[in-house]
Amino acid sequence: MLRLYAWVFLVFLYAPIALLPVFAFNDGTVIAFPLDGFTTRWFRGVAENPELHRALGNSLLVAAASAGLSTLLGLAAARAQVRYRWPGKTPMLGLVMLPLVLPEIIVAVSLLVVMVQVLGWPLSLWALVAAHTLICTPFAVAILNASFAALDPAIEEAAIDLGETRASTFRLVTLPLVMPGIVAALLIAFTISLDEFIIAFFLTGSDTTLPVYIWSLLRFPKELPVIMALGTLLVLASVLILSLAEWNRRRGVRRAGGRDAGGFL
Amino acid sequence: MTSAPLIRLRGVDKHYGEYHALRAIDLDIAEGEFFSLLGPSGCGKTTLLRVMAGFEEISTGAVAIAGRDMRGVPPNKRPTNMVFQSYAVFPHLTVAQNVGFGLRRRRDLNAEARATMVEDALDMVGLGGLGARPSQALSGGQRQRVALARALVLRPKVLLLDEPLSALDRKMREQMQEELIRLQRQVGITFVLVTHDQEEALVMSDRIAVMFEGRIAQLAEAEALYRRPASRRVAEFIGVMNFLPARLEGDAVAVAGLGRVDREALLAEARTDGEAVAGFRPETATLLFPGQAAPDREAAGTVTEVVYYGDMTYYDVALDGHDAPVRVSMRNVFGREILARGARTRLAWSPGALVLFR
Repeated sequence: MLRLYAWVFLVFLYAPIALLPVFAFNDGTVIAFPLDGFTTRWFRGVAENPELHRALGNSLLVAAASAGLSTLLGLAAARAQVRYRWPGKTPMLGLVMLPLVLPEIIVAVSLLVVMVQVLGWPLSLWALVAAHTLICTPFAVAILNASFAALDPAIEEAAIDLGETRASTFRLVTLPLVMPGIVAALLIAFTISLDEFIIAFFLTGSDTTLPVYIWSLLRFPKELPVIMALGTLLVLASVLILSLAEWNRRRGVRRAGGRDAGGFL
Repeated sequence: MTSAPLIRLRGVDKHYGEYHALRAIDLDIAEGEFFSLLGPSGCGKTTLLRVMAGFEEISTGAVAIAGRDMRGVPPNKRPTNMVFQSYAVFPHLTVAQNVGFGLRRRRDLNAEARATMVEDALDMVGLGGLGARPSQALSGGQRQRVALARALVLRPKVLLLDEPLSALDRKMREQMQEELIRLQRQVGITFVLVTHDQEEALVMSDRIAVMFEGRIAQLAEAEALYRRPASRRVAEFIGVMNFLPARLEGDAVAVAGLGRVDREALLAEARTDGEAVAGFRPETATLLFPGQAAPDREAAGTVTEVVYYGDMTYYDVALDGHDAPVRVSMRNVFGREILARGARTRLAWSPGALVLFR
């Protein structure tokens, strides 16, 4: 019974995604059964749409920038959490992790108010980078925490004892050992930023990101199969990136000699 | 010790907030000595070792190594190297890269000289030819050796060892104890070992400092520490000792179950008047064969427990006139009967083996 439930659950969860490629290759503009025949012209539509390319370019830029920033911040936070003690540590780290559970619409609205009304910044992709960094950082912290926790503190001390400075110890010992965690954090933050819609919808002006552009396409039923084709490509890319991240993280845990304590996949 | 000590600690105190980890430690360690810091967990022995290594700042006092004040000198600038309890072998490097790690900074050496030094160090710890192995593929004992080689290749003035054998199984530990002694004699470097294992300390060290609650309770050579412990607590921590209530009566001591002894005849005493405790080690007394005469004094008693170890038998004997039994260890020499519980026996003892405590 439980087994059946599990299967029903999985089908319910993934059937819509499985339908994406089905209609992406369907030769008809109406998204309904029966299917009309096989075509690849929707994919050609994806390839030949300059607006879409601009949106994709924007998305990649924002994702890369916020992945880099949030991983850098996550590195600092995770190291602080595992290695140091200071008054107010628990509430401070709680605040770092808060965006994980905060409704995105709240984050979006409040950021919009702060940036436009209080600071008077024009809406731009950099505002979005800042916002995405905020929501990606908790993920980076979570992943990097695991990496640092698996690292024996004596390993860093041993390097210092053998004559290295704090900086060279970080470069020669700490960094190689947490590198898989860094790569995993980068990839996951990148994916999260790439997918994000609500904040992007609020904070982008004329320069939209891919999810916002897709949303705008929904008003034109004829464009729907193009979205299906694009969605198929995005799902593939997401699965690929996440698998890469997890494979890389597991390899890192093995290399650091620790036991696997979870992760996202 | 005619020359100046290699390590000199004066009035070293260490506070962690409210916690007083080290209290007024005065300590001199000579060059070439195998020195042990022995004590139960939480006694401050590891903290003291980390103070020498430079990983812990001291609150007050002074630390000098090789005549140089170590105040403000970080671990990477000290003439010390450490073998960590967890070994801390770098998991992303090979065995040879681990051992050669500290040589990276030696600008005076070319790659060839470094490789030779690494190979020699590996030979010295019995890992010759394993340099190319990934360190992940090593057993616990091998990692231990890598950690040793990695520290010794730098020829430090002092090698600090933090419970290096505690993670090994018994056989391996005994083997490594002997190897460490051999290695120390071979390289002539001063070793400072932290251990909670009294046997380990006795086997390996020239001198031992026993620590309780951040203080050095006694500092002595292994044999002196075992035979003449300065306090009842030290005696209890090191080996087994029997304690009997005693009362001082002028120039004599009345020991329960044993009788009166001249104070002059005692091995050592740590108190001058009133109620006291007399102690003796299980192997300093023997149970007499029937008809055998005691070489010195004897006391009668009843066997209450027999623990048979093959080569040895441990007897608990309740001496007449004192209820709490004392333990006596007897070698099972050929022809000696193993006594049964409840048997009457005579215990041969000597005042010269008694230590008097407060």
